Amino acid sequence: MNNFLLSTLIFLPLAGAAMVLLLPSAYRDSFKWISLVVCIINLLNIFTLYNSFDRQITEFQFIEQHEWIRMSLGNLGILSIDYLLGVDGINMPMILLSGIVLLIGAISSFTIEHRQKAYHSLYLLLSGSIIGCFAALDFFLFFLFFEFMLLPMYFLIGIWGGERREYAAIKFFIYTLVGSIFILIVMIGLAMSVQDSFFSQEMGGVVHTFDFRQLADFKNYIPDTLLHPEQKQLIFGIPARFFAFVLLIIGFGIKLPTVPFHTWLPDAHVEAPTPVSVVLAGILLKVGAYGFIRIAYGFFPDIAYQFTYIVAGAGVISIIYGAFNALAQEDLKKMIAYSSISHMGFVLLGLASMTAEGVNGAIYQMFGHGILAAMLFLIAGVIYDRTHNRLIENFRGLSSVMPLFTLAVTVAFFGSLGLPALPGFIGEFFTLMGGFQSKVLPDWFSMIAMLGIILSAGYFLWTLQKMFFGTFWANRNQAENLKDLDLREIIMLYSLAVLAIIFGIFPSLIFDITGESVKLFLEKF
Amino acid sequence: MLEKLTHILFSTRVLLPDIIFGLVFLVVVATISFSKKLDIESIHNLFNALIISILISLGFVFYSFLGFFGQYFESGSSLFGGLIYLDNKSIFFKLLICISAAAVLLHVWIVGYKVMGEFYAIFVALVLGLFIMTMTANLLMLYVSLEMVSICSYILVAINKGKSNAEAGIKYLLFGATSSAVMLYGISLLYGMTGTLNFTGQEFATFLAQNPSWIASVAIFMTIGGLLFKLSAAPFHSWTPDVYEATPTPVVAFLSIAPKAAVLLVLIRLFSSLTIDFRLITAVIILASLTIGNLSALWQTNTKRMLGYSTIAHAGFMLVGLLATNSFGIQATIFYISTYLFITLAAFLLVDLLALKTESYELESLKGLGQENIFLGLAAVIIMVALVGLPPTVGFTAKLLIFTALWEGYQTSGSSILLVVLIFGLLNTAISIFYYLKIPFYMIFKEAKIGVKFYNIGLLRKAFLLFFLFFIIYLFLKPGELMALIGKL
Repeated sequence: MNNFLLSTLIFLPLAGAAMVLLLPSAYRDSFKWISLVVCIINLLNIFTLYNSFDRQITEFQFIEQHEWIRMSLGNLGILSIDYLLGVDGINMPMILLSGIVLLIGAISSFTIEHRQKAYHSLYLLLSGSIIGCFAALDFFLFFLFFEFMLLPMYFLIGIWGGERREYAAIKFFIYTLVGSIFILIVMIGLAMSVQDSFFSQEMGGVVHTFDFRQLADFKNYIPDTLLHPEQKQLIFGIPARFFAFVLLIIGFGIKLPTVPFHTWLPDAHVEAPTPVSVVLAGILLKVGAYGFIRIAYGFFPDIAYQFTYIVAGAGVISIIYGAFNALAQEDLKKMIAYSSISHMGFVLLGLASMTAEGVNGAIYQMFGHGILAAMLFLIAGVIYDRTHNRLIENFRGLSSVMPLFTLAVTVAFFGSLGLPALPGFIGEFFTLMGGFQSKVLPDWFSMIAMLGIILSAGYFLWTLQKMFFGTFWANRNQAENLKDLDLREIIMLYSLAVLAIIFGIFPSLIFDITGESVKLFLEKF
Repeated sequence: MLEKLTHILFSTRVLLPDIIFGLVFLVVVATISFSKKLDIESIHNLFNALIISILISLGFVFYSFLGFFGQYFESGSSLFGGLIYLDNKSIFFKLLICISAAAVLLHVWIVGYKVMGEFYAIFVALVLGLFIMTMTANLLMLYVSLEMVSICSYILVAINKGKSNAEAGIKYLLFGATSSAVMLYGISLLYGMTGTLNFTGQEFATFLAQNPSWIASVAIFMTIGGLLFKLSAAPFHSWTPDVYEATPTPVVAFLSIAPKAAVLLVLIRLFSSLTIDFRLITAVIILASLTIGNLSALWQTNTKRMLGYSTIAHAGFMLVGLLATNSFGIQATIFYISTYLFITLAAFLLVDLLALKTESYELESLKGLGQENIFLGLAAVIIMVALVGLPPTVGFTAKLLIFTALWEGYQTSGSSILLVVLIFGLLNTAISIFYYLKIPFYMIFKEAKIGVKFYNIGLLRKAFLLFFLFFIIYLFLKPGELMALIGKL
């Protein structure tokens, strides 16, 4: 079956970016509408994809494969790079999430008034690369889109950000680049160690491939190569695959981010403009988690076993450390940023448990956190837009002047802290359940992680109480600026709130999709 | 006797394109001497048009020669009694030199440099020297051609009568003369050890292996000293920043690609006939070049100086393919240098186009230019990303290939120094992003100074820059054809 749905998802935003770039600046007011229309069409396409996704099949669906680069490497054989897209249960929820969050980001971008042309072309470029990154099934293509997300993000933070935007942008860039170099090393190694089982026979030589499906299959490894799973080759006395896995968890750990590689995140978030924060927290962090599942665990299941403690430990430390940090923040946006670190820790815990509950829960947590984080950053944006101030202590009793806003905040906060029937609960519940059921993980890991939920209740409820309850008061004569939500904000926050509730009550909307693929994924361990 | 004469006649015929180019030099010199009273401007235009068209047609000649030559001489042919060695690689590198020379002259013309007539004569001689250098398999010819290239380069650097030009010229001359002397000493040692000047022959390899390996290594290291100087690799790099800063940009652009290509071919030939383990020294040279280049570039405030340090780092990357010591490594190196041609020429053109507006090469002066002119801003992003080696530019493909070759070299040899270079080299790109991005950063992020108006660079200059940008992107999307061409060499 060859249809072009996935390509459309990638190239429509890119075409939109080109269109924005080519239109003369006189059409300044239409740029945001182009972004919006592109994102709406994309989301509708994604709904089509979601509906026609066959939930019973474990293989990849909607595969598009075109030969891209065939390069002779002399005596080493042939390097084959394909334009290869496809979805299965692991990346389908991510694409759905991208569609939703990117649309919200596009609506939120209406507030950008400064240099709209550049902004919207970069935003659309980013949108295309994000979906490309999730849909790519060729390591080279994945890496291409992975890197391609960096530059637009760098400019989006660096031009439209807050006061320390330049510092935050370059820090973000260098951190992520170091991570992607580690990934690149493993990519080279894998490509040199794996041959395409089909083409190698047909062409009578070694065809080095980047195809995810081939890389995951141990049968395709060329004998005597460094990363061969059975022959334990050593690098500096350490098995080579071990080495590669460490590089991958650092690379994706920076992107995720997990403690101790997280320090770029608070800076980037605090300085980024609201829509960029929304996209960053809502989707980009999930790219790291997706890489963990698909690449680190998918290609190195034999090593992943030995790293259970380290990965789960990093997850638990992220949960606790992020939560304690969030508890100490005075800046609302910074608090939300640290809460993101804490919540992404659950993904690692669920993944490391290697149980069906844990991995399904991890994917669900990625999805749920995407929606809730988008809401949380929008909330911070709402306050910042009105007062240019985000300190929690400057506001009190907002519920009396901003009732609609308070309702949305309540949904987002309770969703995040794990109230049943909202996404945070499902994700945390299933990852923790996976952690407890896991045969490879002792129970105390999950017990400590549960402490994170209590802490998150602490910081969210305290913030809610401090900012929204009590008598109304705002510092620095900002009282008259604090008006309730306008229509645009209502649309963004309430549609996300409705989605959160729907996915919270019917988690099977996600679990149905992920179930079969996760089952296949776990068979490798 | 007759046999020798036929051989010389035959050699002359094979080298006809080069000889014709030598005649061009004579024509240019003659024209300069008799044209003092004529209108300087029109003479320059004439020279430009003449030399560029000759270079382009030579390029086509070489290109067609490439397919034709391989059919008759599979492993290359010895001409002039073994002094000249011509194979497909030489022809390909001559093609590269033609392209860069033509592009540099176009650069001179389009940006509107006022040069003396002598510039053209020296430039043609320099190109001729490079042609000869690509055809050397003989240590003596290597030294002669290297000196020819060096002397022409010294003059080109010093030809503008500014104070800094003279300073840069003197520095260049002193360092160059020293490294030439070191090289000559190395050559004499090698000759003493092997008794032959032909460094691609079996004799050379056999006799070299009979010596203690550390003596052979020292001799080889001294011999490649002069080549490393041209490549601006550590420890022979120290002339680079000063010369790059003071010299007219087109000359620097040419020096940053053409001599390096020729030298790299000689290194490829030399390294493939080495029987001793030279990997450790190469690895140290690479690591030192990368570190010195990238770390020093971090602190630069002048774009040309920064690019100077960046070429030191790139010299390190070019040697990585040789470190891999497999045939794919050589192909990857050739791919790297062929694509670096477009990137570096584009970078210098960009810097020059920006300087046309600001009349300064300082980073500070670039403030806000990208906001005023989106095209230049975008071009700066693409070129700098290509220099870092990130997708979607050919810089990424080139780095991917050389490090793939290195990985394969490690896999077959198990020498852990290769792995150190692999990791360290790739991490260096993370350092380099910091300074490369400074140029687009100043152009796009910083607010423009008051009074900066829209800067129209003109259609011709735009088209010229676009030509490079096209190749930078196109070769990323379709590297297969170039790689297939290189594979056949």
